[in-house]
Amino acid sequence: MRVVRETDSVLSEWREQALRFEREIARVVLGQQRVIRLLTIATFARGHVLLEGDVGVGKTTLLRALARAIGGSFERIEGTIDLMPADLIYHAHLGEDGKPRIDPGPLLRQGEDLSVFFFNEINRARPQVHSLLLRLMAERSVSAFNRDYHFPHVQVFADRNRVEREETFELPAAARDRFLMEVQVAMPADEAARRSLVFDTRFHNVDALLTEVKHGGLDPATLETIARAIQSGVRTSETLETYTLALWEAIRAPRAFGIAIDGVDMDRLVHGGASPRGMSYLIRAARVRAWLEGRDMVVPEDLRAVFPEVMAHRIFIDPVYELRREGIVGELIARVFERVPAP
Amino acid sequence: MARRLRLAFLALLAIAGATPAAAQVRAVDLYAPRAFGYVIGDALTLTADITLDAPFTLDPAALPTPRALNYWLDLREVRLDDHGVEGGQHRYTLGLTYQTFYAPLEPRRLDIPAIALSATDGARRVAVNVPGWSFLSSPLREVMTSTPGQAMTLRPDTAPRMIPTAGTRHALLASLVIALGALAVLAWQMGWWPFHRRRARPFAMAARAMAGALGSPSSESAYRGSLMALHRAFDTTAGHGLFAEDLPGFFAAHPAFRAVEGEVRRLFAVSRDVFFGGDAPGAQRALPPGELLALARRLRAVEREAS
Repeated sequence: MRVVRETDSVLSEWREQALRFEREIARVVLGQQRVIRLLTIATFARGHVLLEGDVGVGKTTLLRALARAIGGSFERIEGTIDLMPADLIYHAHLGEDGKPRIDPGPLLRQGEDLSVFFFNEINRARPQVHSLLLRLMAERSVSAFNRDYHFPHVQVFADRNRVEREETFELPAAARDRFLMEVQVAMPADEAARRSLVFDTRFHNVDALLTEVKHGGLDPATLETIARAIQSGVRTSETLETYTLALWEAIRAPRAFGIAIDGVDMDRLVHGGASPRGMSYLIRAARVRAWLEGRDMVVPEDLRAVFPEVMAHRIFIDPVYELRREGIVGELIARVFERVPAP
Repeated sequence: MARRLRLAFLALLAIAGATPAAAQVRAVDLYAPRAFGYVIGDALTLTADITLDAPFTLDPAALPTPRALNYWLDLREVRLDDHGVEGGQHRYTLGLTYQTFYAPLEPRRLDIPAIALSATDGARRVAVNVPGWSFLSSPLREVMTSTPGQAMTLRPDTAPRMIPTAGTRHALLASLVIALGALAVLAWQMGWWPFHRRRARPFAMAARAMAGALGSPSSESAYRGSLMALHRAFDTTAGHGLFAEDLPGFFAAHPAFRAVEGEVRRLFAVSRDVFFGGDAPGAQRALPPGELLALARRLRAVEREAS
């Protein structure tokens, strides 16, 4: 009983901290409350995130602010077409004595307590790099200098812009499945936010802006513990389990639930996906969301709040509809939540 | 030279054709109505029976066309009946309807002119004469009135004949009935005015189901079932799955339910505890089955007022 109470009080204390963390980021990134909330959820669920959006909507600023607010060591790398896995791991250069030297590269430079690894323009990197990243995300380890490096606290954030498709490499499904969320960053809808982003000089110098974010609110090692506490502390009832399975079923066989989308043949729309790993990620994210809302139980609203970001990229649809993917999958998910009866 | 030769040839042909002409035309008998007592505007029908020898046929091009023959006589109608060949003779009946517009001052004999037709067997051509006829036309009234005063009283005009409209009226009635029927079907389909109450009443159904289930003593599963029934009713009313977080939107879309807003929020909180918090006994204490049933009835009343 005492232990439970302690866990409860620790969790609510951390909830305060998480909300503070959100506010810190919201101070420098305007009009992206939902994205910030999702990134907070991902941080406390210890999941990797892929950001996708237009150019110049503040993806990079958001991630830098996030990394700064989390604290711990932080590394970033830009994806380019000639980037090879070795460039991430090793840094080859000439020493002061004129002899060639091999030093740890960006990934290893901070040692094993690397907490945030930020991969910019991930789709410009080659598949070899993707596979290295796959291992880093799945196992949180890489091999270098004849040994394995482990990064127990690493969280990978990647971004890609969806405007350019030339000279890019599509991420393999396996790599995308490793991301907890794929978050769409859009322009801020709020007019006041748009106005200040354009005219307020505070937002013109990103480096100066980022110093406003309080550094290191969350300790990565504790974050790991608290994430475990959230997962065990937030309940999922039997009803919710039934509901989740019904959602899963509805995504895979929308026709059976009477879901129809204009101009789409529902029989051939969904080819597969919504993997068991995806569903477990969904519950993980939903638990964190319930905790952030101050609840100790997961309710259908939590699933609905995180479902598009966690599940949309795991649903494989017919290639015919691939070009209209965002709209169709978004509508499919919305319809599923409208149709599948809860509780 | 050549022209003169051709003329001579044509003259020869005419002689050759004319010689047997009498033999080709067997008879032309004219049948006429009475020959007197006609006044201005009267129509006369003459009938001529024409009998030709077999290969000869009457040339339809030679028939007169209905027209004004002179200033007082109109040919109104020409009808030729072909009775076919019988016993080597080709019989026709030619019907001619004339109308006279002659206004005589005293009885006067008028002449209908003869008509020249022609018959041909392909090579030869013979003339067929329908003889003329004469009749006596009389004035309508005396020239000078012997008694003073009004010479003639005009008779009133005949009433105009009604245009027959019964068929049109029946067709109009039938199409009106069909249109009204179609409108009624459409209104039923769309749930318009006379049928707007047809819409299912989800809360009424839920209340009915709950009244059965929540009778004494109520079990936990009955309580859960009742909550479910209410949730389904909310889903149906909202048109989609309704969660606790959607309640503000629901009240905005269905303002009638604002009257029970507090109770609905409590219901959703309790149902959360039951289904997701695993705290059914606490929930039953917070909202006892009796109150739940009362809430269902209030919702039913709100729904009835709103619809």
